[in-house]
Amino acid sequence: MLSGRYQRAFTVGVVFLVAGWHLAGGGGQLLQHRSAYGSFAFQGALWLIMALAISAGSVLVLRGTITWRSAWAVAIIALAASTASAAASPAAHMLADNWAWGSAGWTGVLVLVRRRFGELAVFLAAEALATLGVQAWDGLSRTGLAGFLAVLAWSTGGQVAVAAGVRALDIAAGQAAAAARSEEAARERAATAAVIQEARHDRWLALQESAVPLVAELAAGTADPGDPRLRNRCAVQAARLRRLLAEGDDVASSLVHELHASADVAERRGIAVDIETAGLLPPVPALTRRVITDAAIAILTAAHSQARITLAVVTGGVAVSFVADTGAVVLLPAGGQGVAIEQQQDAGMLWAEARWNSR
Amino acid sequence: MEQQVTVAIIEDHPVVTEGVASWIRSDPGQRVQLAHTGRDLTGLRAGPRPAADVIILDLELSGELVTAQIPGLVAAGYRVVAFSGHSDPAIVMETLDNGAHAYVSKEEGSEHLVEAVLAAAADRPYVTRSQARAMLSDQRPDRPTLSQQEQQALLLWFQGMSKASVGRRMSITENTVRQYISRARAKYAATGRTAPSKDALLARAIEDGVIKPGEILPYQSFARAEAHPPSLGAPGQLPAQDNQTPPRELPPSESAHGTGCEAGHHGVISSRTVAPTASRIGGGLS
Repeated sequence: MLSGRYQRAFTVGVVFLVAGWHLAGGGGQLLQHRSAYGSFAFQGALWLIMALAISAGSVLVLRGTITWRSAWAVAIIALAASTASAAASPAAHMLADNWAWGSAGWTGVLVLVRRRFGELAVFLAAEALATLGVQAWDGLSRTGLAGFLAVLAWSTGGQVAVAAGVRALDIAAGQAAAAARSEEAARERAATAAVIQEARHDRWLALQESAVPLVAELAAGTADPGDPRLRNRCAVQAARLRRLLAEGDDVASSLVHELHASADVAERRGIAVDIETAGLLPPVPALTRRVITDAAIAILTAAHSQARITLAVVTGGVAVSFVADTGAVVLLPAGGQGVAIEQQQDAGMLWAEARWNSR
Repeated sequence: MEQQVTVAIIEDHPVVTEGVASWIRSDPGQRVQLAHTGRDLTGLRAGPRPAADVIILDLELSGELVTAQIPGLVAAGYRVVAFSGHSDPAIVMETLDNGAHAYVSKEEGSEHLVEAVLAAAADRPYVTRSQARAMLSDQRPDRPTLSQQEQQALLLWFQGMSKASVGRRMSITENTVRQYISRARAKYAATGRTAPSKDALLARAIEDGVIKPGEILPYQSFARAEAHPPSLGAPGQLPAQDNQTPPRELPPSESAHGTGCEAGHHGVISSRTVAPTASRIGGGLS
């Protein structure tokens, strides 16, 4: 997916940012002030722990396998390392020597950026409070507090800004993807319309071959309107024209299309078929359509000269009915797929109804 | 012998006019007499008296839909049977709502047109399959409520069964099938805009026992439509229409609503008096 690709790019960006910060920013500060710490080895060990936490977090977010637990596990390790580092730093210039606050904050951004914003806020606040707590333990001076606020604004401010930026980009990428999807849907609709248009054009061409000569014969007086065969030809062509004209209303329904196709086949045998719908048909599942079109084929095959197919929206579903001059009862499929089929024979005319209950 | 029904054909294609005329001529009982043909409506407006009892009106004259002309024709005392190549349910509904008695699609012409004209002349309902289709497709919020039996009879009729077969399917007589379908049609006549033809159809339906006055739920819609003239100045003009809606199952004899329909009943002879009567009673209800 398009938005997925963008999101991954933003994640890679954040990984580079956090790793870069820890190596260059945190690592640089650690080396620069190495003489100031009580134990450089201890600070170095904490730096390594932080580096491991960042590596683990990076792998998790890049693989997309990060969970609530693993995110917070990484965040808490970073928080603990940062607090330990602050506590072990010399009280007088703790803030100046502190490499860990920034690294821990960025680690939090790395693992929490795609969780709720509140979680990141809680983490950054906890981080700031822990550092402030260490400062207070050491005896907080006015200049110390000012320094704390300055670092807070600069470091945490940057982290919040990056997190907000990633979020905004995620949303933009989602919108871009949605736009691409709707464009694709529009293309698909256009393609479908083109197919339908083509099918209609084919049928129009077919009319040129079947209906036009008939009209010409009638006009020239070479055809005898008293001839039952001619009358049947006229009925078939009239039904075909009506279907062609009516089809515009029914484009959306696959069932209607399939019934039209069955009617086209019957028409070649000289059966005049009318198809009408009442109401706005709901989509009918493919297997259900199969049961209904099987019934249609059975009836149209048995019809002698005419058939009427209607589709009506009824309470709870669709009633597809067939009236045809079959002369006898027709062996119909048993139904199934939510379809119940009934038939009644009356003076040579068959009435059958396939009623689909959608519930 | 019964008097012949006179008919005017308004149709812009001469070949169709000729076809309709031949159906009229070939009616075994010669029950209909062709009094006028025209390619548009202008010829009908000339005389002071209606040129015919019934107009067979092609809905599309010179490429324009003339459904909006129907109320004027009905007000002039004509009964209108629409005869159209259109079968779009929305157009059928609009045509009936404007006061046409029946709707016959061009495919249905040979079988139904003469019968529809005769029914219209007698103010009796006539429901073609295309009309049944429109009624079944109707999703407008103010559509009348049809009973399950009425709905089923309409559906089977639309599906293409003969009325006798519909009766066998529903285990009722053919006459009862006609009754159900006519009753559904009468309910439609009781909704929507006011038209003398609809009042006449309703009154006749009541007289024939097709429908009871109490079954016509939205009959007060006449009052609603007529509430605009200032002379009616009833206090209940603007307030919620609910106030004007009588209870559904009110027995006719006990309700002003029922009386309204009785007034309609007497209006058969001079149907145009019905609407004001009904509206006065409707106003009294509020």
